[in-house]
Amino acid sequence: MRTMTRPRVPDERDFTSWLRSPTVTARVGVWLGVCFGLAFVTGLVSHWAQTPSPWLPFPTSPSWGYRVTQGVHVIAGTAAVPLLLVKLWTVFPKLVARPPKEARDLVLHGLERISIAVLVAAAIFQLVTGLANAAQWYPWRFNFRPTHYALAWIAIGALVVHIAVKLPLISAALGSDVDSTALDRPTLERGPGVISRRGLLRTTWVATGVAVLATAGSTVPWLRKVSVLGVRSGTGPQGVPINHSAVYRGVVAAATSPAYRLTVAYGDRQARLSLADLRAMPLTTASLPIACVEGWSAGATWTGVPVRALLDLVGTPGGSEVLVESLQEHGGERLSTLAGNVADHPHTLLALALDGEPLSLDHGFPCRLIAPDRPGVLQTKWVGRLEVAT
Amino acid sequence: MRVIRAGGVGTGVLAAAYGVWLLLDLGWANTRSTLLWLVGGVVLHDGVFAVLVLAVALVALRLVPRDRLAPWVVALVILVPVTLAGIPELGRFGARPDNPTLLDRPYWLGWSVMVTLVVAGVLVGAVATRRRTAVRGGDDDTGAGGR
Repeated sequence: MRTMTRPRVPDERDFTSWLRSPTVTARVGVWLGVCFGLAFVTGLVSHWAQTPSPWLPFPTSPSWGYRVTQGVHVIAGTAAVPLLLVKLWTVFPKLVARPPKEARDLVLHGLERISIAVLVAAAIFQLVTGLANAAQWYPWRFNFRPTHYALAWIAIGALVVHIAVKLPLISAALGSDVDSTALDRPTLERGPGVISRRGLLRTTWVATGVAVLATAGSTVPWLRKVSVLGVRSGTGPQGVPINHSAVYRGVVAAATSPAYRLTVAYGDRQARLSLADLRAMPLTTASLPIACVEGWSAGATWTGVPVRALLDLVGTPGGSEVLVESLQEHGGERLSTLAGNVADHPHTLLALALDGEPLSLDHGFPCRLIAPDRPGVLQTKWVGRLEVAT
Repeated sequence: MRVIRAGGVGTGVLAAAYGVWLLLDLGWANTRSTLLWLVGGVVLHDGVFAVLVLAVALVALRLVPRDRLAPWVVALVILVPVTLAGIPELGRFGARPDNPTLLDRPYWLGWSVMVTLVVAGVLVGAVATRRRTAVRGGDDDTGAGGR
């Protein structure tokens, strides 16, 4: 007589690959934790750099500081993609693990499952939205910057909880040989199957390296040739890429008008300068990177009038905070605030030229802000007004 | 260990709670859209991607002898994540006609070159491992000649 068996819902025992061992998970997890830690810390730096009037002024030196931190932010996020996928693969059977029967264990188990659900959801969210944002793709309705920032706290919090809960297992797994079976579930197969554990780990490190090499050229100039998936090749008008064009921001007419005047205002004192007036002032040349929040960056040599010299025309005291206003009528980068330490820095310029040639329209003609160690989104283009509150 | 773990759980819960407060502060419409993407990401990974990986593994184990699978596992572990990470570039979803400096590479060509190089590298590695294993007559820890 034939017996009918109902198909069974799979559980943890059905996953028998020798590779799904805590010794593998912990080793991949260490590097995943490093990537998330780096992305979190550099993300905090970027948040600080973009806060209009922070209680602790963002430093102006080194001038390439933000270029490095934001480059690391995007590179760490990209490196986390293979690490996260491999790590989730090694623990996938946990998804179908049966809950314990004892009430106390059940509560602890439930709490741990919730913390892991939060961690996985936040981790995937951060990587997906970060990578899409870096390529200027916004297929969502939420406000990217504050939401990415809020989820960073949720992801890092859930990660710290996860590490704390798993600490004894992590410590035992890292302390044993990768081929040790002491910590494995009893239903795992013995011995290397298709690939050894060391083989999987090496492959994961190579995958991480390939993901970084394929994208990092957007910010590391000597990788430009190999970064086949880089958001930018690093070229553009006057050798520098642009983020938003003059056409996109609707400023072509205002920026090219002969009637253009830069207004510098301090209370009721005002100076109005034509482009010729600006060019006639003592000019400073400085090599400063343009480093975008989206992770791309490029070095360039800028020539222009120090903002401090313009503020002196209307008798602004040192250390004053300056509101920089663009001719553009919309867009997040229309306004930016220069903290006193930035406004007074001798290399904070209203640039008129890039690499010895007049600024192109897309780089902010007739003049743009360029300051050391500052996110590109705050390097206001097509500047029409500098205002200091009294 | 106990104190460190308790401290870790406490700190983590506080940090996550701060994140939740920041998120809710952005308004309900923002939170709703965020929740949709949070749940969507997990569903896409656990419900679609992970299931596809299992299905591919099951089919491959039936069709290809076990000791021939290692190079393909290595190639896929390298290429699938980098391809997923490159979706915004390969699709050029954020491209705009007024900005030729954005998404300005021949992405599919670059991707094809990368795939070719990785597959070639993996195959060369597999042949070398097989020869070395044959000469030694023993096992090799890259697993390409595993059982």
